[in-house]
Amino acid sequence: MFEEASEVFDNMFKSSFPLTFIVFLPAVLILVSPLPAEAAHEFTVYRMQQYDLQGQPYGTRNAILNTEARTVEAEVLSRRCVMMRLLDFSYERYQKALRQSAGAVVIILPHNMSTMPQDIVQQFMEMEPELLATETIVPVYFALEDDELLSIYEQTLMSSSSQGSASAAEVLLHTATANGFQMVTSGAQSKAMSDWAITSLEGRLAGVGGEDLPTIVLVAHYDSFGVAPWLSYGADSNGSGVSVLLELARLFSRLYTYKRTHAGYNLLFFVSGGGKFNYQGTKRWLEENLDHTESSLLQDNVAFVLCLDTLGNGNSLHLHVSKPPKEGSPQHALLTELEMVISSQYPEVKFSMVHKKINLADDTLAWEHERFGIRRLPAFTLSHLESHRSTLRSSIMDMRPHVDLKKLSRNTKIIAEALARVIYNLTEKGTPGDLQIFTEQMQVQKEHLSSVVDWLTSQPRAAQLVDKDSSVVNTLEYHLGRYLKDVKKHTVKADKRDPEFVFYDQLKQTMNAYKVKPAIFDLLLAFCIAAYLGMMYLAVQHFGVLYGVMRRVIQPKTKQH
Amino acid sequence: MTLFHFGNCFALAYFPYFITYKCSGLSEYNAFWRCVQAGATYLFVQLCKMLFLATFFPTWEGGAGVYDFVGEFMKATVDLADLLGIHLVMSRNAGKGEYKIMVAAMGWATAELVMSRCIPLWVGARGIEFDWKYIQMSFDSNISLVHYIAMAAVVWMFTRYDLPKSFRLPVTVLLGLCVYKAFLMELFVHVFMLGSWTALLLKAVLTGGISLCSLFLFISLVHSN
Repeated sequence: MFEEASEVFDNMFKSSFPLTFIVFLPAVLILVSPLPAEAAHEFTVYRMQQYDLQGQPYGTRNAILNTEARTVEAEVLSRRCVMMRLLDFSYERYQKALRQSAGAVVIILPHNMSTMPQDIVQQFMEMEPELLATETIVPVYFALEDDELLSIYEQTLMSSSSQGSASAAEVLLHTATANGFQMVTSGAQSKAMSDWAITSLEGRLAGVGGEDLPTIVLVAHYDSFGVAPWLSYGADSNGSGVSVLLELARLFSRLYTYKRTHAGYNLLFFVSGGGKFNYQGTKRWLEENLDHTESSLLQDNVAFVLCLDTLGNGNSLHLHVSKPPKEGSPQHALLTELEMVISSQYPEVKFSMVHKKINLADDTLAWEHERFGIRRLPAFTLSHLESHRSTLRSSIMDMRPHVDLKKLSRNTKIIAEALARVIYNLTEKGTPGDLQIFTEQMQVQKEHLSSVVDWLTSQPRAAQLVDKDSSVVNTLEYHLGRYLKDVKKHTVKADKRDPEFVFYDQLKQTMNAYKVKPAIFDLLLAFCIAAYLGMMYLAVQHFGVLYGVMRRVIQPKTKQH
Repeated sequence: MTLFHFGNCFALAYFPYFITYKCSGLSEYNAFWRCVQAGATYLFVQLCKMLFLATFFPTWEGGAGVYDFVGEFMKATVDLADLLGIHLVMSRNAGKGEYKIMVAAMGWATAELVMSRCIPLWVGARGIEFDWKYIQMSFDSNISLVHYIAMAAVVWMFTRYDLPKSFRLPVTVLLGLCVYKAFLMELFVHVFMLGSWTALLLKAVLTGGISLCSLFLFISLVHSN
C-alpha cells in the first residue's frame, strides 16, 4: 500500500500544481498552527503590589502563572494555583499555601464590597500590610467575583475536597465527569519600569502688603495604596485630603480676589505624588526648593505647613506633630484657633494633638509633615485617624462609601475657619469664637466636594498607574489652575544607580481558565477507544455473518416472486 | 489537551477507515489510486457546491436562535450534487457492484475526513482546553463512513437499468433520506433541544436504520436475478 502511495504522490507533484497546493497548504497550516486559546472563561485579574523601596523588595515578585487550580482544602498544593474567596481567606491559610510551595494564589473578591460582613473586611484590611511586608516569590492575583468564576471555584472546591477520601472506582468516575482548571495568564513576566515619573503639582496665592510675607503651605498627597494597585481607590486616604485642599483653594482664591480681604500671607498649595511611597514627591520638591533654587517661598519665613490626610470620616480630629509648637508661633496660633473653632462651633468633634517624634530608623515616615520636619520647617498633619498605623491608609477596601460627605464638609469648614482666623488674626482683634466666616456665598460647597471625591474614586490612583500625562494629573492641574497662580508640575524620577523606589509593570492581566482532565483520564480514554476499535474490527471482519442472515431472511420472500 | 488526547481522537476517527479498507478486500484490488481519485472528485464537487451556495444563497440575517427552515432546506437540496459526484466516481470505475460502491464510498468519506476533521482535531484536541466535542467529532466520522457506504449503495441501485419497478419507490425514498439526513438531524436538534450526546446517538440510530434498509434492498436486488 505504501509503494502505491508514494507512486501516487509522485504522479501528483509532477502532473498538477493545484493538487500539490491542496496537499501542501494544510501541511503548512498544521506545522505553523499555534496552540489555540479558546478559553472556558476569561477574566481580569489584578496583581499584588510589586515595588522596591530604598532597595528593599516588597510584594510579589512574579507575574507568570500556568498551573492547575486547587483550593486550600486539597492535600497537595505544590505548584498549584490556590484559589481562595475573601469569605474564607485568612492569613494562616495563605501562609499554609505558601509553605506548601503553591505555584500561585488567586484571591476572589466579591463584586460589591459593601455586601461583606464588617468583621471580614476589617480582618482583610489588617492583613493587607502583612501580605506586602515580605516579598512573595509566587504570583498573587486578585479577581472580582462573577458567576462563571464562582462556578469554577465551586468545581475546584469539590474536586479538591473529595481528593484522597474516595475509593478507586469513585476517583475513576470522578476524573471522567469532573473538570479541572488550568489557570493561565496572558502577560509576560513583570519587569521594572525604568524612568517612571511621580508627578506632583503646586500652585500659589500671593499675599499683599510688603516683601517678606509669611507663607502657609497646604499639602495633600493624591495617590492611593492597597494590596493591589489596580484595586486601590483610596477614597478616604487620600481622596478626602485632596478634595479638602481643592475646596480650600477655591475659598481662599475668592477671598484673595478682593482688596479688602486680601491677606498678608502667601498660600502655597501642594498636591504631592508618591505619598504612599515614603512621600517621594514631597521629598524631591523640598530638595528642589531648598537646595537648588535661589529664591523660593519655602526658603524664607514659612509660618507653618499643614498636611491634610484622611479627613473624610470620623467624629474626631487629630493634629499630629513631631514637636509641640511653642507658644507665640504661628503653629501654636493655628492649634488654638482650631481648638476655638471646634469648641465654639462644633462641640461634637473631639480634637486633640498627637505628639510623635520622627523616627529616622524606621523604613518609612509616619506622616507627611515629617518630611518637612526633617528639613526644619514647622509642620503638622491633620487627620481623623489617631495613629499613622491605621490600616485604612493602605487598603483596597477604602472606597467611596468610606467617605461621609457631611463629615468631610464639616472638617473642611473647621479647617477653613481656623485658617482664616490665623490669616486675618481675628482672635487678637477680639472676634468671638462662634463667628462664622464661610457662610452664605462663601460657604463650603458640598456638591463641589462630592464631585471631586466621586471623580477621584472613580479610578485607581496608585502611584504606579498615574503617569505624568494621565487624566488624574491633568484634571488636577486644570482644577488648581482655575483658582491658583503659577501652577507647576514637578516630576520625580528615581536615581538610575541607586533608586529609592522601583515600580514593576504587569499589574493587570487577563487570566484564562481552561478546562482540563488529568493524565489518567487520557489513559482511561485510550483503553476505551482500543476496546471500541477492537469491536469495530470484529464487526467488519464478520460482516459476512450479517450479510448471510439478511440474505436468509430475504431469500424466501424473493422466491415467492 | 495533550498530544496524547489528540492521538486518542485521531485513532478513534481514522482506524475504522483503515480497518474497513483492509477487511473489505479493497487492498487486494489495488484500489488505492481509485480511492484517491474519488477523493479528488469529492473536492471538486465541494468546490462547486460552495461556489453555488455563495452565489445564490444570501447569508441568513434573521435574529439569533431563529431557525431558517426554508433556507436550510434549500441548502440541503444542494447536497444532491453529492449524489451526482458519487455516481460520477462509480461510472468511471468498471467492476463488480460491491467494488464500485466501496471504492466510491471509501474515497468520498476519507476525503471528507481529511478535509473537514483533520485540522479541527489537530488544532482543538491538542489545545489546553478539554472538550468532549473532539471525541464526538471522531465518533461522527465513524458514522459518516457508514453513511457514505449506504449512500453509494443506494446511488448504485438507483442508476441500474435493471432495477425492478417495485424497488423504484423505496430506493428513491432512501436517496432522499440520505441527502436530507443532515437537515433532518439539525431540525431534530433544534426542535427537541437535544444535547450533543443525544444528537450523536440519534444520528447513529438514523444512519444505522438507513444502512440496514439499503443493505436489505441491495441483497434482494443482487440475489434476485
